[in-house]
Amino acid sequence: MPKGYRSETGYSTVVKSGGRSYKEIAEEMTAIGFKMKHSAARNILIEAMKKFAVNVCELYDMDGSDIDRIAADPRFQDCIASYLEEESMI
Amino acid sequence: MSEALQTYFTRVGRYPLLTREEEVELAKKIESGDRHAKDRMIQSNLRLAISVAKKYQSKGCSLEDLIQESNMGLIKAVDRFDWRRGFKFSTYAYWWIKQSVRTHVASQASDIKLPAHTRNLLYKMNVMIKEYEDEFGQKPSYEEVSVALGIPPSTLMSMIKCSSQTSLDANIKDRSGGSGRKIAEVVADNRSPNVEDLLDSVKIKGVMRKALTSLTCREENIIRLRFGIGESTPDDTDNFKISNSELNKIKKDSK
Repeated sequence: MPKGYRSETGYSTVVKSGGRSYKEIAEEMTAIGFKMKHSAARNILIEAMKKFAVNVCELYDMDGSDIDRIAADPRFQDCIASYLEEESMI
Repeated sequence: MSEALQTYFTRVGRYPLLTREEEVELAKKIESGDRHAKDRMIQSNLRLAISVAKKYQSKGCSLEDLIQESNMGLIKAVDRFDWRRGFKFSTYAYWWIKQSVRTHVASQASDIKLPAHTRNLLYKMNVMIKEYEDEFGQKPSYEEVSVALGIPPSTLMSMIKCSSQTSLDANIKDRSGGSGRKIAEVVADNRSPNVEDLLDSVKIKGVMRKALTSLTCREENIIRLRFGIGESTPDDTDNFKISNSELNKIKKDSK
C-alpha cells in the first residue's frame, strides 16, 4: 500500500454523513433523466471542485498548477462541503 | 506637590529637633500627664513621620494619607515610649510609624481585604523566596515555602490566590509613572471572534459565492447528493438547465 492520500495516486473523495456513493448518485441522476455512470458522477464532482479550487487559489495567491491535485484532495472537498453546509449556500 | 502639603512642611520645619536630654525630660512630663509636653514631643518628631511616609509614596497611596497614618503611629510611640530603657525616641518611634504606614498601605493595596496575620505571612513568604533565590539561584517549590512558613500548602495557595488579584479597573502605569488606560481596556476577549478570521471568512464567502455562480445545475445537484447537503426531488428536474452539447455528450458517454 502506498503511503499518503488515495487522492494522490488515484481518485478518492469524501462522503459526508448522509451523502451517497458515486454509484447511488449515478442511479439517482439516471432516474431523473440524466443517464450517467458512477465515473461520470465522479468526474462532474471533481470538475465542480476545480471551480472552487481555482477561486481559493486566486484568493491566497497560490500557484494554479496544483488545481487538479487540490480539487481531488479529500481534505479540500471536506472543507468545501462543511462550508457549504454551515453557510447553507446551496 | 499640593499647596496644603507645602504649607504643612513649612510649618513642621519650624519645630526644633530635641536633644536626648530634652526627650527624657519631656517623656517624664508625659508620664505625669503633661499635655503640652506630649504636643511638643509629637511636633518635634513630625519630620521623622514625614520621612517615613515618603518612603511609601510609590505604593499607590496619597502622601497626605501616608503622613496622616505615620502621625498616628508617632502618637502611639509617644504614648508608649519608656525613657528608662535609654534609647533615643526616634529609634523607638520609627518602628511604630513604619508599622502604622505599612498597615495602611497593605489595607489599600488590594481589593480583597486580607487579615493582618495573612499579610504578615505574605511578607514573610516574599522574604523567604528572595533569600532562597539568592542562595540557590532558583525559586522554592510551594511545599518548601509552606514548610518554611509552617502553614499547610492549601492555606499557602489560598493566600497566593488572594494576593495576586488585580482589579480590571486598575490603571496601567507606564514608564513615566503616569497612568493612561485601565487593565480592562487591554485584556483580550477570547470569546470575541478574531478580526483576521472575520475578514478571512468574508473573503472566503465571496470566493465561494463566485464559484457557486459558475456551477451548472448538474454539478450543484451532484455536490448535494455526494455531501448529503440537500435531497433532490423529482421536481428538481424542471430546474435542470443543460445545454444541448452537454446532453449530447452525456448521451455519447452512456453508450
